[in-house]
Amino acid sequence: MRLLTVTFNGAFIDSNVWLIALCIFCTVLASLAILAFVFARIHTIQDYRNRRKMKKEEEIQAAKPKKPVITGEENAAIATALFLYFSEMHDEEQYVTTIRKVSRTYSPWNAKIYGIWNSMKR
Amino acid sequence: MKLYFLSTVLSGSNFFCKIWEGSGFANTGLGNILMIFVGVVLIFLAIRYSYKPLLLIPLGIGVILGNIPFLQTASYAIGIYEDGSVLHYLFQGVLKGIYPALIFLGLGAMTDLSPLISNPKLMLLGMAAQVGIFATFLGAMLFGFPIEQAAAVSIIGGADGNTAIFLSSQIANGLKLQPQALNVQNLIGPIAIAAYLYMALVPVIQPPIARLLTTKKERRIRMKPLRSLHRYEKILFSLSGLLLTAFIAPAALPLLGMFFFGNILKESGLTKQLANTASTVLIDIMLILVGITVGASTQADVFLKPESLVILLLGFVSFILATAGGVIFAKIMNLFLKKENRINPLIGAAGVAALPDSAHTIHEMGLKEDASNYLIVHATAPNIAGVIGSAITAGLLLSFIL
Repeated sequence: MRLLTVTFNGAFIDSNVWLIALCIFCTVLASLAILAFVFARIHTIQDYRNRRKMKKEEEIQAAKPKKPVITGEENAAIATALFLYFSEMHDEEQYVTTIRKVSRTYSPWNAKIYGIWNSMKR
Repeated sequence: MKLYFLSTVLSGSNFFCKIWEGSGFANTGLGNILMIFVGVVLIFLAIRYSYKPLLLIPLGIGVILGNIPFLQTASYAIGIYEDGSVLHYLFQGVLKGIYPALIFLGLGAMTDLSPLISNPKLMLLGMAAQVGIFATFLGAMLFGFPIEQAAAVSIIGGADGNTAIFLSSQIANGLKLQPQALNVQNLIGPIAIAAYLYMALVPVIQPPIARLLTTKKERRIRMKPLRSLHRYEKILFSLSGLLLTAFIAPAALPLLGMFFFGNILKESGLTKQLANTASTVLIDIMLILVGITVGASTQADVFLKPESLVILLLGFVSFILATAGGVIFAKIMNLFLKKENRINPLIGAAGVAALPDSAHTIHEMGLKEDASNYLIVHATAPNIAGVIGSAITAGLLLSFIL
């Protein structure tokens, strides 16, 4: 088939062309697969880092002086004592009502000197 | 008096003749008009349908600028192929592969690689672009292109404009590749126009093919949400990606080196202003320069050849093949994956290198099927893989030919 100056011909693709195309295609496929494999492993490195960090923290915790161990019975006794203390805090009331005297500042609005009776003539 | 008047009129008409001879009207040809029409169509597509306006408007204007006719014998030094012209100097950035490299820097600085790190198996979907590339390569060979030109044309199949420009500027630039060799044909213009045109037409070309190859149930597959990533993981990814790809295809270093460099600038968190400049101002300047110069390089006498038509045709067919290849590859992968890890086959279509248009198109397709199924993040992964794969292929082709 002739298309102006461009010729369409199957013979232009010889075995070399196929070989080049196939080699490059396979290389690119392999490259992408390698990249995928490597990137899939990156989070493993991160996990390993996290695990190491956690392990270190555990070691630091382990190295700290241990607190005295309190048995369950002792805990129960302390809890009961606290409960009784807090629940009986307001048992005894004074039963005295206190009325606090409120002192008021002087206001002339109801002062006797301004009362209406002062102005009235007797 | 009469004579003086006559001579004045004659000299005046001579001046007008000269002005007419130097004007575009006297020098215009059918080719110029046709190419100016192409430029107008590109601008129309960008403005009316919002098809990649950032690329198509500078490209369209460039096509018009490059095809304004002028007197060839006059030494105006305005044409892109004339020594000393402004456009000629700006075009050096394309010829030397500077602009594509800097665009890759910007792309790297604006791309979040998390989807790919979270789900590395999506990397394999980047093979979709490769199907298109190799189909175009074989197609171009069938049409009788010499191997270096066929290699340059083949990148259109990956729908990656920058890689296509980079490769064509190296091996199909109208210059001698080796001292003893003949000049190769200049195909930068047709290749760039075809690649950018198909990148712009992603929302038109991809959806029907993806819909044809998938069932409604498949299109509604919800993918597992991505895991959260540590900053160091992202940096490690970029570093290992840079080292691996550079060792596999050193010829692609200007592209992949810049891409991962830009990404490290972004992910390090300490060079924010550099990453911001690369992903905003720098990439915008590069898009302007690439658009205008590549557009202007499509002068009618260089562009209007049967080869250009064949390149456009090959690009279209291979883009369809690449989309179909990605979807089919995703469906094959699903056969080997557990039910909870299944991939929505639509994202296979995003395995072409049109970043980020393809991912956006697939996301919108997914939303039409299920309004709460957000595929954008998942579709970005094969899209990035497509870019990386295309650049590796370009590097391998370059090292094979040069």
